[in-house]
Amino acid sequence: MLFNSWEFVFLLLVTMLLYFNVPNKLKTLVLFVSSYVFYAFWRWDFALLMAGVSVVNYFSALKIVKANSVNERKMWLTTSVFISLLPLLYFKYGNFFIANINSMFSIMNYSRELSYLKVILPVGISFFTFQALSYTLDVYYKRTVVEMDLVRFCTFVAFFPQLVAGPIERSTNLLAQLKKHHQFNRIHFIEGAKLFIWGLFKKVVIADRLALYVNRVYENPELFDAPTLVLATLFFAFQIYCDFSGYSDMAIATARMMGFKLMQNFNLPYFSSSISEFWKSWHISLSTWFGDYLYKPLGGSRVVYTKWVRNIFIVFLVSGLWHGANWTFILWGAIHALFYLFENWGDKLLNKLNLTKIKDYTFYTICKMGIVFMGVSYAWIYFRAQSISDALLISSKIFGNWGQPLYLGASTITFALSCLLILVLLGVQILQYTNISSLYFSKSKVPPLLSSVGYLLLLVGISLLGMSSQSFIYFQF
Amino acid sequence: MTLKKFIVIVIGFVFAFFLIDYTVSIVLSKGLEKYYGLNTDSELAIVGHSHLMLGLDKRKIESSLGVKVAKYTREGVNLAERKIMIEHLLETNQNIKTVILGVDAWSFTDEGLSSNSYKLFFPFMDNESINRYLLTECDGVEFFSKKIIRTSRFNELLIGGALRGYMGNWSNLKQGKVDISKLEEQINRGVYRKIDSKKNSIYILEQILTTFEEKKIKVILLNVPTIDIMIKAQKNKVKQVFEKINALAEQYDNVRFLNMQEPWSHEHELFYDAIHLNPMGQKKITEEVIQYLNDSN
Repeated sequence: MLFNSWEFVFLLLVTMLLYFNVPNKLKTLVLFVSSYVFYAFWRWDFALLMAGVSVVNYFSALKIVKANSVNERKMWLTTSVFISLLPLLYFKYGNFFIANINSMFSIMNYSRELSYLKVILPVGISFFTFQALSYTLDVYYKRTVVEMDLVRFCTFVAFFPQLVAGPIERSTNLLAQLKKHHQFNRIHFIEGAKLFIWGLFKKVVIADRLALYVNRVYENPELFDAPTLVLATLFFAFQIYCDFSGYSDMAIATARMMGFKLMQNFNLPYFSSSISEFWKSWHISLSTWFGDYLYKPLGGSRVVYTKWVRNIFIVFLVSGLWHGANWTFILWGAIHALFYLFENWGDKLLNKLNLTKIKDYTFYTICKMGIVFMGVSYAWIYFRAQSISDALLISSKIFGNWGQPLYLGASTITFALSCLLILVLLGVQILQYTNISSLYFSKSKVPPLLSSVGYLLLLVGISLLGMSSQSFIYFQF
Repeated sequence: MTLKKFIVIVIGFVFAFFLIDYTVSIVLSKGLEKYYGLNTDSELAIVGHSHLMLGLDKRKIESSLGVKVAKYTREGVNLAERKIMIEHLLETNQNIKTVILGVDAWSFTDEGLSSNSYKLFFPFMDNESINRYLLTECDGVEFFSKKIIRTSRFNELLIGGALRGYMGNWSNLKQGKVDISKLEEQINRGVYRKIDSKKNSIYILEQILTTFEEKKIKVILLNVPTIDIMIKAQKNKVKQVFEKINALAEQYDNVRFLNMQEPWSHEHELFYDAIHLNPMGQKKITEEVIQYLNDSN
């Protein structure tokens, strides 16, 4: 079930009607049923898989709390992590491993070939698996108390606004809120509705329109030259941002309408003046997940330099692999790791040369924003390309022939509109960056009447220019 | 926030949305009407799909013949949809004396044209016959959501048409020339639209011609040339279809079949792709049609 579907509108209205009107003890049950209906609408059997992952983590956490020794705690944690990751490994990475084994066989002139698994990837499996695991890890590290109510815990894992594409919530935030008995709050409803409109606009008006051009170019990159490939890559940078942040906004907005406050998942990432800042602003829930449950347990930055470099690479490579079972994603992660290290070395060099004052200049910050954006966009080539060879072809071609005319896509109007919409997005984000317009639920300096007119125009824009895409990019992860 | 204020805000917002929605849709519909030449006193109308759209220059015909022309052409419309367009045109334009109706070797082939062309009819779904047609083409949710939210009836193609209607820009030009080697390779691989003769399509054309006969409107069934390489691939079928169209035309006193396949289909520099003409091709064919209309008068 997609957020931009009438089925979802119906489900949301029914859920809200029930949630705010049933007795307190039944509120969690309403959310539980709605969440499983939301997921089962796509595939009911995979809803059972999600239930299985939830139950494993629920009981593992109970066992961890009741364990008598450190070893026993570790044993239950390992069991939980292993069993939770099994479906993910099987559905998401099974064929990737088989393809690589077959490639190795081929290199070694070994005639045998393993047959591929006939599986489809359960939507949002990486999200709900990581959300469930975060709870067990938090219980293990004693960051949260154990949850005794199985229905509430299953609702935490399956909470429908953020089930299939995040934000990946922590038990300390969402599970704690599920224990509260929310009442209908008019201000929360209006705040949520506004954010939903903005998220929907980003998704169906901007992202899906840019996708037409990007898909056309990236499906056959050999047919195009440098100007077109560069433009398609820049379009993709905005497409993936609008697609994913649009979904996150709608998720946060839906939860807000019901009284919940989910974590912020994006904080104007393309206004970052460093790679580290970019990763603090892009898919924040995943970055902090890897920070808390992978980077820090590995020692974080409190280790010798070589180990720190290793930690950086591990986190970015695993992050790449999390996004997809393809070497392109791993390479994308590696490029970001390299950017991160270059930036660190650059900062050290500035310190050595006593040039740190340069950082105070606005011009320096703006230049760095531009460089970071170009670097991130370059890395997106590896994220979007269908294969490593395609990515390398695009990488080499963008430094090649710039004399060829720019491909404008199937329709000049669509192309012009795409460019205009990117300008609109940047305009709104500049207002948000300068704290004039509201970012999430912060205070806005825009007069309420003007703001209402803005949202009305966005709504008309959605109706007039909205496209009906069948999916969100991040669903596949 | 008090409940009263909340209700006022929500109702006010919804009301304002529908007001803007209605206003924008009316403005765009009027623009589209201008673009298609609907609700005008045009004496000559051009009805067809992209083949004819890129084949004739409305402005040139108007200036040469001194008559108003309505060019009601849409991408990917089959004969059944062209019939609906004709009904729509005749309802809104009372002065039509002559209609140039696009036909080609694929006129009786249902498959292969756009499956989404019905979406181009949404802006005019208030018209009874279009409304009836759309009910059969789209699902209930799509139909009723378009009924309620009027701006959702448009897409950028239609918005572009509306803007062009207001700007008086009727040029339909595709710059460039067909890549012959690529086309030949495609045809050798069998990648081309196969010609078929569906009885229902023939019947629809008969219905269209009968309507025109009843209304005493002259009809020119115009075949804008298709490149010869494409025609050679299905030579016999093309011949059969043209014979059928010619036979149909001969049944009616008010109908003529103007087949411009020869000699133009051999002049490859006139084509943008296998089917559509480029500006040079459009100029040539428009001049020929003007000449024909002058001679027939």
